[in-house]
Amino acid sequence: MRVLIIEDEARIARRLERMASNYFEQNSIISICDSVQKGMDHIENNEIDLLLLDLNLNGENGFDVLEAVVSKSFHTIIVSAYTDKAIMAFEYGVLDFVPKPFDELRLAQAFKRITNTLKTTDEPLKFLAVKKAGNIKLIDIEELLYIKGAGIYSELHLRNGNQELHDKSLETLAQLLPNSFNRIHKSYLVSLALAEKIIVQPGSKYSLLIKNGELLPIGRSKYKELKEKII
Amino acid sequence: MKNYLFLFLALCCLCSCRPDISFKDYPPVFKTGDNQSWAKKDFNAIGWATDRDYTKNNIFWVRTKLDLTKKPVGHLGVKIEAFGAFDVYWDGKLIGKNGEVISSKAEVPGTSTSYYSIPDSLAQIGSHVVAIRASQSYLPNVQRSVNVGLSTYESLLKFPLIITSFMNLIAGAFLIAAIYYLFLYINSRSRQYTVLIFAVICFLFFALLILEYVKYYVEIPYPRFFLRLEFIGWITFALSMLVPLYFTIQFKFKWKKIVMSLLFITLVSIYILNFGHYDITAIYYSLTMWIFSLIVVFNAIYQKEKGAIIVLIALLLRVLINQFLFYDFSLFISFCIIVLCMLYLNTIQMKVIEEEYQSSLLLSSKLQLELIKKNIQPHFIKNTLTSLIDWVEESPKEGTAFIQALADEFDIINDISEQVLIPIRQEIELCKKHLSVMQFRKEINYKWEESGIDENEFIPPALFHTILENGITHSSPFEDGSMKFKLSFSATAGYKQYTFETFANNRVKLKPRAGGNGFVYIKARLTESYGDNWEFTSNENEQGWISIVKIYTK
Repeated sequence: MRVLIIEDEARIARRLERMASNYFEQNSIISICDSVQKGMDHIENNEIDLLLLDLNLNGENGFDVLEAVVSKSFHTIIVSAYTDKAIMAFEYGVLDFVPKPFDELRLAQAFKRITNTLKTTDEPLKFLAVKKAGNIKLIDIEELLYIKGAGIYSELHLRNGNQELHDKSLETLAQLLPNSFNRIHKSYLVSLALAEKIIVQPGSKYSLLIKNGELLPIGRSKYKELKEKII
Repeated sequence: MKNYLFLFLALCCLCSCRPDISFKDYPPVFKTGDNQSWAKKDFNAIGWATDRDYTKNNIFWVRTKLDLTKKPVGHLGVKIEAFGAFDVYWDGKLIGKNGEVISSKAEVPGTSTSYYSIPDSLAQIGSHVVAIRASQSYLPNVQRSVNVGLSTYESLLKFPLIITSFMNLIAGAFLIAAIYYLFLYINSRSRQYTVLIFAVICFLFFALLILEYVKYYVEIPYPRFFLRLEFIGWITFALSMLVPLYFTIQFKFKWKKIVMSLLFITLVSIYILNFGHYDITAIYYSLTMWIFSLIVVFNAIYQKEKGAIIVLIALLLRVLINQFLFYDFSLFISFCIIVLCMLYLNTIQMKVIEEEYQSSLLLSSKLQLELIKKNIQPHFIKNTLTSLIDWVEESPKEGTAFIQALADEFDIINDISEQVLIPIRQEIELCKKHLSVMQFRKEINYKWEESGIDENEFIPPALFHTILENGITHSSPFEDGSMKFKLSFSATAGYKQYTFETFANNRVKLKPRAGGNGFVYIKARLTESYGDNWEFTSNENEQGWISIVKIYTK
């Protein structure tokens, strides 16, 4: 597990480092950056799996970097004094928000969410940040039709017919998206609010008809569960 | 005030309705010489002159014919306006004296206006003759007309009394206003010239009213008659300067000096051109004042100044008043209205000052709150607590020291939170305590240095503490993990200067820094204690950051 800690308080950074290395035990590589600039540089030049981010760094607003980091493939956990910003952070698609001061137990809970494939947050995700031509673009999840896995990336299919590429994998996005989003196939994640009906095709091939008329394949193993949910 | 004015107006209307008497008067005729038979009713004054001519120290006679066409209900009286000392004869009968006519002894001057009662037996409808045996040894060259008028004796006595009582009432009100505004000027913190000018205007107006109507109750011998008018003239002159001046200040008129010089030149020209014509001079003065005020007020309306419309209405009212009332009253009433306007403007001004004061109070309490908030805002307290937990868990002994440092900083904040100025030493202690707290959090070796500190100096609370916080936030330590702050003080004849230097590396900013809340706090605190007499600069330099607080002492 490659963890990056962006925190300007040396003592707190060391505390996070200690607790992270305790949790992930072996094969954890932990780096600390004490400013936004250094943190961003590190992200550009190194692959990481998890970011622990403070929202107020040396007087700079962490939300400026939040949009940039949530578009990345890794999960972000906010560790901040500003508990009133928690809801906003979740809307941007962070995995967890750990308010300061924190103890080892609370931090461990947050770490646990990474390995938990089931959706664990009830907080409403409102946007998906995607990188487009060097800029960060926020996509309202109301605009989403479905998400198709494409290797380590995901394709976001939107109501307006456009497609956007997201750096997070389908598995990672599934952890962040609201409960209405379901895996209907190993490569498809759909909001059931948009499901019209299940169509059975010859050769026990199942498909899901969604509101825009598209047919999406349903995985054999997912069919039963999905049928219950739709009916 | 408005009620008085209303009463006064009502009174004027009443006065203009003449009592039920009517008479016709003929122009007076004059003859130098002295002959008792000239007093007789049936004496034929053919060949008498129509003016007095130069009588020097001689006695002269004046005869005037009156036709009484309607007799009043009450006792008949005669009012004579003339210079000199004289005996008055009604149809040949002596009815009174005004002063002592020249004889072997010198003349005792009479007053310019005198009243006489006429015996009922002689007050019949028909023709009458008023004969005056007079001398005018003072001011012999002044050719003043002789006016003889009839009325009931009662109203002749009462009318001046009523007028005087109302005028004195108004004068009293202006005297109080003058005193009140003078005291207000003396005792107010921010001395405003408009207040002083207003006090002077009120006083002059009071003096003008008193001087104008003093004639009704103080016997002024005719040689002194012009002295009073001279005074009235100069007071009117001063008022005509001050009223537009007041408006130019109040309405922030841009070309004040030009307009005031023009006004002065105009008034002086009026004085020179109409020298000796007191009434005309006064009328022109007030007209000039009115025109200049109007110019200023029009400009004020253009500038959208508060109260300008009201003043314009008042100024225009003057035209209306002039239409209906004779000169004396119209002058005083229009003055009165203008002064009332100024009173109104002053209250507007007071309201503005009051509001400014309220907002300064509000600001002070906001700053107090800001100071207390410093140590309970989440960024400070939560980060401190998180570090604290860590210290306690990892090394309880150090944790205890950390708690102690935090408690000390809180103590100082508590002590100073309600102060506007604190001793510089206390401020330095606060900075040092803050550094020891931050040292536990940031694990940076903070150093503090000071030079030239004058222990007797005072400074707004948390001024340098705020600069220090900024320094800690926006700088990163040198290679050896240290950072230094230095506060130095110097004083010259004109100002005191604090220099706060940060020796550290400046962090690279994602966005340029424009000061932020810390600077707002510093500037508000400096304004609170020093008004405009301060300067604050804060910028990068080669060794880190430098902030300079300059407090002007002159």
